[in-house]
Amino acid sequence: MVNFVALVREHWVNILVPAGFVIGWYLDRLQDQKLTTFRNKSALYSRELKPGEEVTWK
Amino acid sequence: MNPYLLIVLLTSLGLGTALTLSSTHWLLAWLGLEVGTLAILPLMAQPHHPRATEAATKYFIVQATAAATLLFAAINNAWLQGHWDIQHMSHPLFTSMITLALLLKLGLAPMHTWMPEVIQGVSLNTGLIVSTWQKIAPFILLLQIKQIHPPLLTIIGLASILIGGWGGLNQTQLRKILAYSSIAHLGWMVLILQHSTALATFALLIYIFMTSATFITLKKCKATTINMLTTTWTKAPTITLVAPLMLLSLGGLPPLSGFAPKWFILQELTQQNFIPHASIAALAALLSLYYYLRLSYSITLSLSPNNLPECLQWRVNYPISTPLSSALPAALALTLFLLPLTPSALTLII
Amino acid sequence: MLKILIPTLLLIPTSWLAKAKWLWPTTLLHSFIITLFSLAWLKNTSETNWSTLNPYMATDPLSSPLLTLTCWLLPLMILASQNHLAQDPLVRQRIYITLLVTLQLSLIMAFAATELTMFYVMFETTLIPTLILITRWGNQMERLNAGTYFLFYTLASSLPLLITLLALQNKTGTLSLLIIQLLGPIPISPYVNIIWWTTSLLAFLVKMPLYGVHLWLPKAHVEAPIAGSMILAAVLLKLGGYGMMRMMLILSPLAKELCYPFIILALWGVLMTSSICLRQTDLKSLIAYSSVSHMGLVAAAILIQTPWGLTGALILMIAHGLTSSALFCLANTNYERTHSRTMILTRGSQMILPLMATWWLITCLANLALPPLPNLMGELIIISALLGWSWWTIIFTGAGALITATYSLYMYLMTQRGPVPNHMISMNPSHSREHLLLTLHLLPLLLLVFKPTTIWGSAY
Repeated sequence: MVNFVALVREHWVNILVPAGFVIGWYLDRLQDQKLTTFRNKSALYSRELKPGEEVTWK
Repeated sequence: MNPYLLIVLLTSLGLGTALTLSSTHWLLAWLGLEVGTLAILPLMAQPHHPRATEAATKYFIVQATAAATLLFAAINNAWLQGHWDIQHMSHPLFTSMITLALLLKLGLAPMHTWMPEVIQGVSLNTGLIVSTWQKIAPFILLLQIKQIHPPLLTIIGLASILIGGWGGLNQTQLRKILAYSSIAHLGWMVLILQHSTALATFALLIYIFMTSATFITLKKCKATTINMLTTTWTKAPTITLVAPLMLLSLGGLPPLSGFAPKWFILQELTQQNFIPHASIAALAALLSLYYYLRLSYSITLSLSPNNLPECLQWRVNYPISTPLSSALPAALALTLFLLPLTPSALTLII
Repeated sequence: MLKILIPTLLLIPTSWLAKAKWLWPTTLLHSFIITLFSLAWLKNTSETNWSTLNPYMATDPLSSPLLTLTCWLLPLMILASQNHLAQDPLVRQRIYITLLVTLQLSLIMAFAATELTMFYVMFETTLIPTLILITRWGNQMERLNAGTYFLFYTLASSLPLLITLLALQNKTGTLSLLIIQLLGPIPISPYVNIIWWTTSLLAFLVKMPLYGVHLWLPKAHVEAPIAGSMILAAVLLKLGGYGMMRMMLILSPLAKELCYPFIILALWGVLMTSSICLRQTDLKSLIAYSSVSHMGLVAAAILIQTPWGLTGALILMIAHGLTSSALFCLANTNYERTHSRTMILTRGSQMILPLMATWWLITCLANLALPPLPNLMGELIIISALLGWSWWTIIFTGAGALITATYSLYMYLMTQRGPVPNHMISMNPSHSREHLLLTLHLLPLLLLVFKPTTIWGSAY
């Protein structure tokens, strides 16, 4: 157990960049959803969906 | 200095500027300017040194001349037009006279020669007041006058940017360099003054932040010449790290705050179809950038283990923290990181 | 986009909070992780070419190879600087890594910006970290001079660009790359058009650099520390090419004849700078002039504005980025052992560091565009595009290719072969770190042979 604490104290820094990736991934997804909503409504890019296709096309 | 006296003087400084800012009557505005001038003279002459007395005398003569011209023009204007309103000046001769008097007070080229001399003669704290707080009142008056001759301000603005750049190039004294830097920055504000008063105020605000940070930094390193800057790292290591960024911000490099006023001023000028003016101003700013770059070379970029061009100085009674130096972090933060916030800062002002 | 930007931003606290023992391994590991994720940009499935879109940033086939190259360079720079910084106090090592990360951050934002003003701001932002890298961590006193040259050449040419951009925004109402391509021709008089064209391209031509305005580059390269040279050669010069391609798309139908003097200068520059390489005694200076010569080809290819030209330019930019960065690393391995950049004093390293000689051989061959490396692909496409534009260019490009081969071999022979000088007795053996560094430079180059479409841009 003590060893574990020492390990955390030594290496907790390594969590920062992966955490940043997770945050960035989440924010990117929010942004994508927002832009997709715009696109689904636009006259230029909206199209007829195939049966069974989800709304959020790429 | 006696603390009671200091309080009286500082309060009068504030009072003078506040009086000018809140008046619509020329006489009261003049009074405010005079109060401000008289309040700072004892602060300037306070060190027992011929250079300080000389600086105070020069400052007094110049400011008194400007104030007398202003008063003369205002009285004549009242005589001919029958009112003392600041915002309704319309006589071309007296408007120009007042504009020139205010430009003399601000220290813009070609009426700039007193500025480096005075700043060089006073202590860094007083220099800070002279180059920031004392600029506010005349500048706000200048904002309120309706300009009759647009080329006048443009020419003076461009001339100040050029001369502020050129003048500082061969200086080795830091206070003179800062005086020239102040001339160049005021040139930018005067250049944009007639097109957008909001932008001029914004530029003044950023200029005040940056200049305060610079003066306090120099105060903290106790440096008055370029060579003395090279031993900064022995006194204030953190400042050594931030100082080049601060200086480059003064020079107006993105992504630091100093770029914001330049950017928006250039944008406004191009929008009003003054593209040649914008180009000249932008390129002339490179002259000032050269001496900021030289300063940052000597503060940080050539520090130990390289050879020092200066002996280490004695440090006698070196105060770790003064009221002014506690303002340094805030001033530095505003100097460095304001650019991403500029849209909101601009909307606050406009 | 934020998937990369936020982790990159968090590399800065990582570099400040990491334990001293783990500082370099941690930052190296995490920057590699970021690079790994950035590889996803290379796969573009969008119908409009723009992907990973957000209001300010996006990637398209033109920018994604450059973005990935930027991300690839950061771990390599960290790997390369370890020995250079081993003597520095810990705080300075942390500041150094912070500077490299800041540089990467601003470069990513510059390449990914969809708004030209933002591109400009980020283009200028790269100046400050690079300036500090050169002037603080360079070795000789001349580094201050080099820093001044670097800053003022770039700024003096790019401030007119800022004013042009602002004027352009006035005229068109937008500077967004997504929209501005869809606008028709901009209604301006021919004179204004000429001025706009010149000012907006001059900034990038100085950054490239074009022959005639290239003097800052050899100085900066010679004086910069290893990481500075690497990022300068690999990415910062490409910022110029990238900016030109973007501005060309806006201004292309307007000014055709104006290109001629610049194309002539670029091609003449290829010849001149390669000839300068032949009589160079300073290793880093030679590599710097070789960069100028390669970028002259790229500039000419972009200026003729054909799809082939743009494709070739992009391929050559990526290939040259990796090759010249590898050459600087090799030069640095020599420099760290002998503390001299003079080639005549560092002859015969093949006897001392035999495996290093292999790396030298491969990299020099890449530099002279050996088939089937992407360098050859880029040069061939550019030469044929230029040939299609005018027959006369073959004189310059052909002679340029010949001299390039000559000076690459000259560099190899001077540094690797010949008798070992007496003063080179007690050299350190090469570290596995250095071998890893060079492998990581040359591996992408070799892998790109198999799928060059990743760096072809949108013109295929």
